[in-house]
Amino acid sequence: MTLSERTYTSAGWLFPAVATAAALAAATVVDPYLAYVATSWLIFGLLGLSLDIVWGRGGFLSLGQTAFYGLGGYVGGVVAINVAALGSLPLLWSLPAGALCGAIAAFALGAVIFLARMGPLQSTILSYTSTLLLWSVSQSFALTAGAATIGGDNGMSNIPGYAIWSRDPAETLGPAGVFAVVTIICAAVYFITRWLMTGTFGKVVDCIRIDIQKAELLGYDVRKYQIASFAYAGAVAGLAGAMFGAWSNYLNPSIFSVQEALLVPIYVLVGGLGTLAGAFVGAVAIGGLSFWLGGGAVGGQTTLVLGVVLVVLVLFLRNGILGTIGGIWAQRLPGRDAAAKEAGAVSIDTDVLERLLEDAARQFGPAKPLVTRDTFKRFGGVVSVNKVSRTFAPGQPFSLIGPNGAGKSSYLKTCIGIYPPDAGCISIGGADVSRAPIFARVRNGLGVKNQKPQVFGELSVFDNLWVAAFARTRRREAADRIADQILTMLGLQHQSGAAAATLSHGQQQWLDIGMVLCLAPRVVLLDEPAAGMTNAETRELSSLVRTLARHMTAVVVEHDMEFIRTLNGHVTVLHQGAVFAEGDIDALRQNDQVLDIYLGRRRHV
Amino acid sequence: MFSVVNATGGYGKTVIIQGVSLQVGKAEIVALLGRNGVGKSTLMRFATGLVPAMSGHVEIDGRLAPIAPAGRARLGLGYVPQGRFVFPRMTVAENIAVAAEANGHDGRAAVAAALREFPILGPKASDLAGGLSGGQQQILALARALATQPRILLLDEPTEGVQPSLVDEMAGTLLRINRERGIAVLVAEQDLDFCLSIAERAYVMEKGTIRLETTRDQLRADKRLQQDLLGV
Amino acid sequence: MEPDYLATVLLSSVSSASILLIATIGLAVVFGLMGVINLAHGEFLMIGAYAALTATQRGLPFALAIPVAVVITMLIGACVEVLIIRRLYGRLFDTMLATWGLSMIFYQLAVLIFGTVTPGIGMPQFGITIGRYSLAGYPLLMIAVAALMLAFVYGLLTRTVYGMKARAAIQQPEIAQAIGIESARVNTMTFAIGCGLAGFAGAVLLPIVPATPAMGFAFVVKAFLAVVVAGPVALTGSALTAIGLGGGASLTASFLTSVAGDAVFFVATAALLWLFPLGISASWRRRM
Repeated sequence: MTLSERTYTSAGWLFPAVATAAALAAATVVDPYLAYVATSWLIFGLLGLSLDIVWGRGGFLSLGQTAFYGLGGYVGGVVAINVAALGSLPLLWSLPAGALCGAIAAFALGAVIFLARMGPLQSTILSYTSTLLLWSVSQSFALTAGAATIGGDNGMSNIPGYAIWSRDPAETLGPAGVFAVVTIICAAVYFITRWLMTGTFGKVVDCIRIDIQKAELLGYDVRKYQIASFAYAGAVAGLAGAMFGAWSNYLNPSIFSVQEALLVPIYVLVGGLGTLAGAFVGAVAIGGLSFWLGGGAVGGQTTLVLGVVLVVLVLFLRNGILGTIGGIWAQRLPGRDAAAKEAGAVSIDTDVLERLLEDAARQFGPAKPLVTRDTFKRFGGVVSVNKVSRTFAPGQPFSLIGPNGAGKSSYLKTCIGIYPPDAGCISIGGADVSRAPIFARVRNGLGVKNQKPQVFGELSVFDNLWVAAFARTRRREAADRIADQILTMLGLQHQSGAAAATLSHGQQQWLDIGMVLCLAPRVVLLDEPAAGMTNAETRELSSLVRTLARHMTAVVVEHDMEFIRTLNGHVTVLHQGAVFAEGDIDALRQNDQVLDIYLGRRRHV
Repeated sequence: MFSVVNATGGYGKTVIIQGVSLQVGKAEIVALLGRNGVGKSTLMRFATGLVPAMSGHVEIDGRLAPIAPAGRARLGLGYVPQGRFVFPRMTVAENIAVAAEANGHDGRAAVAAALREFPILGPKASDLAGGLSGGQQQILALARALATQPRILLLDEPTEGVQPSLVDEMAGTLLRINRERGIAVLVAEQDLDFCLSIAERAYVMEKGTIRLETTRDQLRADKRLQQDLLGV
Repeated sequence: MEPDYLATVLLSSVSSASILLIATIGLAVVFGLMGVINLAHGEFLMIGAYAALTATQRGLPFALAIPVAVVITMLIGACVEVLIIRRLYGRLFDTMLATWGLSMIFYQLAVLIFGTVTPGIGMPQFGITIGRYSLAGYPLLMIAVAALMLAFVYGLLTRTVYGMKARAAIQQPEIAQAIGIESARVNTMTFAIGCGLAGFAGAVLLPIVPATPAMGFAFVVKAFLAVVVAGPVALTGSALTAIGLGGGASLTASFLTSVAGDAVFFVATAALLWLFPLGISASWRRRM
């Protein structure tokens, strides 16, 4: 690895660490007023970080971060004033209180949004509304809480400042000291966040952003991860609010204002969406720019300038400062993705596979049958699944065939839980799952490979498998081991570090199948697994499916009759949403009616 | 009168069809055959302009067709997409009328003509199109394309999910409009018999290219080719 | 509670719900026909109000000032669509951010041009009395205006060729193009109409809501919520949600406080979104 490569991979902690050290060193020499102003930039950066967690990593554009920020500020302020009155160190209590309050508020809002599985638009607008509601409520909200007085429009004053040695509220730190303390807190939060978002939790959050359905198909309860990351971001925002209150010693409802809220996505976009550190870069850049312009040039028209900046950013500069630099840097590095092009052939080692499957059987019990009874699904006027009753059991592969539009995929999606059935029931191993969400069915032993390869393109090949293995085992070491075994079996060892998106279509199909194997399912559903595969790959796949069928219930939907024939199992022909015929493939190939619907042969014209 | 020349196209960076050329003569019915996923739909969408050309072009009446799909429609290119993409929250009559009006024809007259042509749509005229059955939606998509008064009609898998009696009727209708109005037809299909019943000539696609060009009689006689092509 | 009072409260609640509906329709049109949420909608309302105000100050009668406002907002709307919205088609959140920035720009420009305090125009003096209570007539007139506006827009979208094209273009964008609909031109028109409706709202409400740079915010939150809760059948859905939520909030406000009214609006919204995560009309079978 070259120096450049090593620096690139560690850029996320190296540069922030250098910047922190530089800021601490600078704190002693810079002009006190600059130190005072720059402190606020860092606090805004922290607020930006909270949005970047939610938006850049979680994929949900929240316009509610200033709500958590403002709430954290107010609650932190109230706590600080009261604690100071009792003669204790205010900061020690106010910052955790602000963070806790932000987390609770975000948890409550997040629970509503994510548990209801709201659409993205509904979620964003709801978050925006909560900010605006707080803005309007806070303007008339007056309350005396102990020693603290919240006076509606007049706000709350006399919030104790940054004091860390002395309990006397009058003896607060000077601007340089405050700047140093805030720098340290921001750095700490950044590194904790980075650790969290590059670790297991962050990987799952990334997966949810990239393909929420696939994440759920791996058995993750995506809603829990969404709520947790939203609550964490709320804590960061609340902490920033409490820090802001201590910095300005005064808060008023403008903290909830639209202008405040507007700044947050600007920081994130300027710095680079999804980079975490970008929020600080953006806040310092914007703050520094307006400081350098002397407040005079833009001072009066800040809103106007910010509006223009936001429009221009959205139209022309989606990657921001760090995103652009990172992109240019990455291009100059020898590509880790180059490896994808020289992939070896897939070779399924049946022994390894058998051992894996036997392990799985010991761990998770025997294969489970999949039963549908009178399952019915319609879309508008189209009946896609018409009272299909089937029992799929382990022992031999089951195939579903039928002409285009026969309802094969709809039937499969109903079994998976992507479409809730209109009538009838579906059970896995005797447990009724007709109404269960996807992840619950997966935890019940269902494994699904959809028609298109569903891989997390931005993640490495290994991480794709690892995330799947971790979903089942919940243990890192076990996940490492399983992912390694499957990786070797797929012949993708040399592509381990390449981004999954750089693999060919056929390789992505295999990777997806590998992810399903990592789940060690008790029932496996494969929707057109052979599509886009070469003849050699199709042969491997056929042997894989036959092996799987000995250890679990295996159902394959396919167009390719030749492939179905090699499976040598039970075949069900669907036509117009209903079971049309069934038996073994050779019998069906002799069946004129089946050939008629397949070939569309009729006696006419 | 209609030709696709050297078409290469796909989605994003993925090339799906490569160097495909075909011609459809005036008032001719031509079939485009091949298994699932060989690029028939992409070729159709290339012809309408919905898939941007990586290279190659489309000619209508010997002249280069405009880039914009709407421009091609004005020049007489009618399109019946795969998967019955009717406008679901518009009524059956509106689906037809909007197609006519968009090309400068009278909507009311077009609806009346379509209901005469396809009596099955009559009782449904003021129902939302999204509530029709699959077969009815397919008929509506065809009626909508005809309302643009095309001179060449592109049909992408028109029989998919349609019950056999309707398929026969559709074949009859296509033959009739072809004879009466001189509309040329290019139909992408997996349903061999449907194609054999209407098309005189066929192109067979494989892996994004045209593998061969054949006539109805050759194809009908060659059972081996039939099975080979359609993977049965 | 005496019936006269109840009738008065009910009537004024319906009137304030109608005012919300007037402010919402333009947003609903743009969302329903383009799938775009225009966060600058409130500022178009403001532009309409200022346009009408300036026109009356120049001596134009109020009734003629309204069409002036509509034309001006439509022109600005068309420019915005061509310069910004068109480039972001299909990128919902980017559109929201860009129009959000735009709303800031319009707001600040209004501050620069008109200052923060502007003279209102007098409310036409007529009214009705119910028992001991008297109500100003102009706000009650808004019930009729809302109904007419709704009928006009509904007719425009369901009975005209433009309306059919606009609906076709949002329901199946590709197919609409393939059958000859110039989606880009239709979208410019739709956005302009949505903005024109906002301008109309700003102008017609001028006697009730005086023009200020920040007036957009007052309406826009509730209008957004009404539209988002309404879901895909935007027009009928928004009419229902605006009247239901707006009326409910207004009733609450008249018995309790205005903050309680806002709280009821917000909580009811959250509850509806909980029950219908994709909007109440997600499974309706209606055209608009």
